[in-house]
Amino acid sequence: MTPPIAAILYAPGTNCHEETAAALERAGIESRLVLLRDLLDARARLRDYQAAVIPGGFSYGDHLGAGRVFAVLVAARLREEVSEFLDSGKPLLGICNGFQVLSEAGILPSRSIGERSMALLENQSAQFEDRKVRLAVSEQPCIWTEGLAGSILEMPSAHGEGRPLFRSSSPRIALHYASSSGAPALDYPDNPSGAPDAIAGITDETGLILGLMPHPERASLPAHDSQDGLTIFRNLARWLAH
Amino acid sequence: MAIHSIYTLSQDDAEARSWLGIFRRHGYRDLSDVVIERVYWLEGQVHPEALLPLLVNPIYQTASFHSALDPARGPIIEIAYHAAVTDPETPSILAAARALGETDLEFARLSKRYQFVGIAQEQAQKISERFLFNKVVQRIRDAAEKPLTLRPGGEPEAARTISLAGMTDSELSALSAARSWYAPLTQMRVIQAHELTQRRPHTDAEVEILVQSWSDHCYHTTWKSLGLLKRLAAATARINHPLVVSAFKDNAGGIEFYDGWVITLKGETHNFPSSIAPFGGVATKHGGVIRDTLGFGKGAYPIGGTTIMGTMDPALPEARVPAGALHPQLIVSESIRATAYYMNPMGIPMMHPLYRRHPGYAKCFALGHSVGLIPNRFSLKDDPRPGDHVLLIGGETGRDGIHGATASSTGMTAQTLERESAAVQIGHPITERRFTSAIPALRDAGCIRSITDLGAGGISCGAGEMGAETGVTLNLDAVPLKDQSLTAWEILLSESQERMLIAVEPEKLPEAEALLDRYEVGHAAIGQFTDSRRLQATWRGDRVVDLEMNFLWGACPIDSIVSAPPRRCLAPLAIPEPQTFEAWSGAVLSVLHHYHCADQSAAGTQFDSTVQGRTVIGPYGGKTHTMPTGVFVAAPLRDKSYGLITTVAFNPFYGEVNPELMAKLMVIEAVSKAVVAGADYREMALCDNFYTARVSPEVAWDLTRMVEMIADLSCNLGIPFISGKDSSSGSFEADGELIEAPPTLAVMALGRLRDVKRAVTKEFKKPGNKLLLVGEVDSSALGGSVYADSHGQRGDHLYCAASAPSIRAQWDALLKLHAAGGYASGAAIAEGGLAVRVFEAAYGSGLGARLDLGVFGTAERGPAARGISRRDQLLFGEFIGAALLEVPPDFDTSTFLDGVPHVVIGEVIAEPRLVLTARGNTFWLGEISNLAAEWSAAFREVLQ
Repeated sequence: MTPPIAAILYAPGTNCHEETAAALERAGIESRLVLLRDLLDARARLRDYQAAVIPGGFSYGDHLGAGRVFAVLVAARLREEVSEFLDSGKPLLGICNGFQVLSEAGILPSRSIGERSMALLENQSAQFEDRKVRLAVSEQPCIWTEGLAGSILEMPSAHGEGRPLFRSSSPRIALHYASSSGAPALDYPDNPSGAPDAIAGITDETGLILGLMPHPERASLPAHDSQDGLTIFRNLARWLAH
Repeated sequence: MAIHSIYTLSQDDAEARSWLGIFRRHGYRDLSDVVIERVYWLEGQVHPEALLPLLVNPIYQTASFHSALDPARGPIIEIAYHAAVTDPETPSILAAARALGETDLEFARLSKRYQFVGIAQEQAQKISERFLFNKVVQRIRDAAEKPLTLRPGGEPEAARTISLAGMTDSELSALSAARSWYAPLTQMRVIQAHELTQRRPHTDAEVEILVQSWSDHCYHTTWKSLGLLKRLAAATARINHPLVVSAFKDNAGGIEFYDGWVITLKGETHNFPSSIAPFGGVATKHGGVIRDTLGFGKGAYPIGGTTIMGTMDPALPEARVPAGALHPQLIVSESIRATAYYMNPMGIPMMHPLYRRHPGYAKCFALGHSVGLIPNRFSLKDDPRPGDHVLLIGGETGRDGIHGATASSTGMTAQTLERESAAVQIGHPITERRFTSAIPALRDAGCIRSITDLGAGGISCGAGEMGAETGVTLNLDAVPLKDQSLTAWEILLSESQERMLIAVEPEKLPEAEALLDRYEVGHAAIGQFTDSRRLQATWRGDRVVDLEMNFLWGACPIDSIVSAPPRRCLAPLAIPEPQTFEAWSGAVLSVLHHYHCADQSAAGTQFDSTVQGRTVIGPYGGKTHTMPTGVFVAAPLRDKSYGLITTVAFNPFYGEVNPELMAKLMVIEAVSKAVVAGADYREMALCDNFYTARVSPEVAWDLTRMVEMIADLSCNLGIPFISGKDSSSGSFEADGELIEAPPTLAVMALGRLRDVKRAVTKEFKKPGNKLLLVGEVDSSALGGSVYADSHGQRGDHLYCAASAPSIRAQWDALLKLHAAGGYASGAAIAEGGLAVRVFEAAYGSGLGARLDLGVFGTAERGPAARGISRRDQLLFGEFIGAALLEVPPDFDTSTFLDGVPHVVIGEVIAEPRLVLTARGNTFWLGEISNLAAEWSAAFREVLQ
């Protein structure tokens, strides 16, 4: 059997794909950088991969909305391919701009491609916030945070649009911004975006999809001052191994 | 063709809220609300409803076919791009619309309607013109306007000839001024004579190319005349440093890193555009210097950048801002917005965000660096060969930035703001980001023979320089335009951003084009290299340029510049030593609250410092992540512990007192900061960025001495300069008053570390550790200091720093001590002196410090302490080259520091406070939290 390979999907404007590949490698996962253009032009196929990560950046310049053009291309042109990928029970991670893509594509919170029920609005400060944050892992079942409930993960966070707004249903919160006491942080700058309920990351009903604003890949290598982010990628490695 | 319009509104619009705050802070107190409505204009047989998923997210946005704004609520200003210009969003809209099945959408545009509640139309108009649009490419759209098509239109003017035959000197000068050429008379005469020799009048394109290629910005006429241009390169050649791979010959310099990799370094100033249009100017400052990295060798990858701004005092009362200059507060806040706008999407970590002020910066100092990474085997370009294609990649060519090179080579006057705004480029980071990913792929596939960026001077300069040894012919009809009304010379000179030129061998062209398509990067083969030794261009069937390369690059006359010693109006310092507790409180707080020492993280945290996942020590650290670290350390090779370290020194106050000594201190400061962190000065390289007033005999004198000083110093220290840039246009004339930039030199040091984990940081580590001051102290170190500035004084002399041999001995001692693990924290003394270093180290650790400022009070204690007789001299003196180290109490430093001046000046304490004592008596103390409140408020106040 060939070893499982994760796809890192990137588009013009994505700028965190290489470090995401490095973090996956560190966690023992083989990955490929896959251009969205190559999927659209059928030079690459999602079904060749056992997991997928959409990394951070400003895909298509975040024109018309953060992550929106990427999401429209996914929903309009890759709907069947992505549905097949999700329906076959493969895990998907969206980091920062990747989370924005999942939300704009309707994949989070409810796996309904093309039907949006959430948005990630501009930070309360109306500016980009480059911070180190603490994340409290919730009890919410999610393969990416399995076994981490109750722990605090430290990692960098850097974005301008990370304040979630949901249509109705209460989201499945996987990660909360936390204050130094470990309690959910409602105040700036521990909660850099002004996210309600200190939401830093959410999962879906299957626990296979995770979208989060902070950057676990920037806290994964020995040179980083925290390697807490690696735990999230290691969870994928464990899941893929079973 | 049918044109549809869709109006969208967002709830909870943080952008509108942010503008409301900004406008109110700028005095529009009656303004109670700002609403932004976006209008999408769509041309073609489309179903607008089908595009709604692209245009709105229904969770927070609404769309309608008519404006939802009620005109009765307040004036509405609609901002749109000029008819001749393509909107930056157009390609994204077209591509996504096609994906949604709307294949008949032919063109799209976006305009923004701003509604201002609570103010009159006239004020709304004024706000819009100042903040909301750039006249070069945008306009206020008349609501009644009914366009027949959205496509960019406009007809270019025909190419013309310009004959200088028979013109008198005064006619030549008048023509040069009228055409914004700013060419000196001697150049005009050479062009006039050339017309006779070639027996035909020049075309307008040829004259434009000549005056621009010969501008100070492109040709460095000032430095050439003073004999300085090769001075630093010669010093570097003499040092013959084994790590130097490339110095002063490519778009950036490079030194060997480890494992076959090279690190590149370049700094560029963008002073003129940043002064007249700070947002566009600063955004493109970053874009430009990043392209210098991409244009190094066969294409390096940018892995770090800086933003360094020198302006007048942002707290200056409006009435004291010189006529024709923008308020420095606006320049600073717009520059911050622009740095975030450009650097964050580029995905390049911010290494050093630095803001400084000086009354001479009416024309501001706007510097950015870019550091890159490239495999050594790609670090040298090949020469283009006849037959190679000229491949233009990136964005389309527009009207922005025309005459940037010539306009930025001159001083500013009260009229410049109005007259030369066309010279400011517009930046679109997404376009540059696309080829930032594509260039390494092209390089690795062997598609790049040579590559250069298009900056000042545009296509003519890029192709002209690349083909200087061969010849090049360009087909201007092949250049993709975003403004259809550009004529030939404008296409050649346009400084539209985000474009690069690549020399591609013929067999490789199809592969290069296919790769660029995959990365969604625009490209056009616009000509070929030839063996004609001529720069040639055709446009609409006519040959519009035919110049000998020898003439273009060899005939520029260099005017001689006389030099004369300046008379400086300097007075000795007259600051009374604080005597009371309150006076000491005032002194400490005035330094911590000073613009140069205060917490600037309100700006810095808007820039991504960890993207790329290579950052080890970012601009801010310590417990709260807001302590300025003073160094940047990264691990460029992800699986290795090898590190690069950068530091910056920039001090406009010193330049006013003694430019020559300032230059020395900047080199020593930059290197010392890195040495204290544990980097070996024998493995470092430097980048210089000079900024002076427009050249006069006095400026020439200072400039020469500064350059001579650092050239000699670099030889004596064995640390080479590998890149740099000069700008001699820091003059501003308003109402008969001439405001001149102080002689300015910013130095960046780039070093390498075997193990990033061994880099020492600034914050204190453990109570009970000794604080050691290493290096020579001297009473003169208050000259040009922040402490002196806080008293409105400058002084008449500077700290002179140690000689090259003694500073090397001191660095050697520090490195040995570091290797032995002899200090737990450390910081080089710089602005604000000991006081600021101790405060920062305490703030970053949650600990405190007790200092003994009486150590030099008696002759038998302490080493050479020239004339230190006062406590404030020791606390605030800027002993450049000295360092504060935190040493374990039982660690014996004497064997390491033998022969190097050093003294125990205090200890780390557990209580978070700063305690000042002299001979056992505590004369002042302050809680770190109280000091921090003042320190962190100062810069925020400036931004508001």
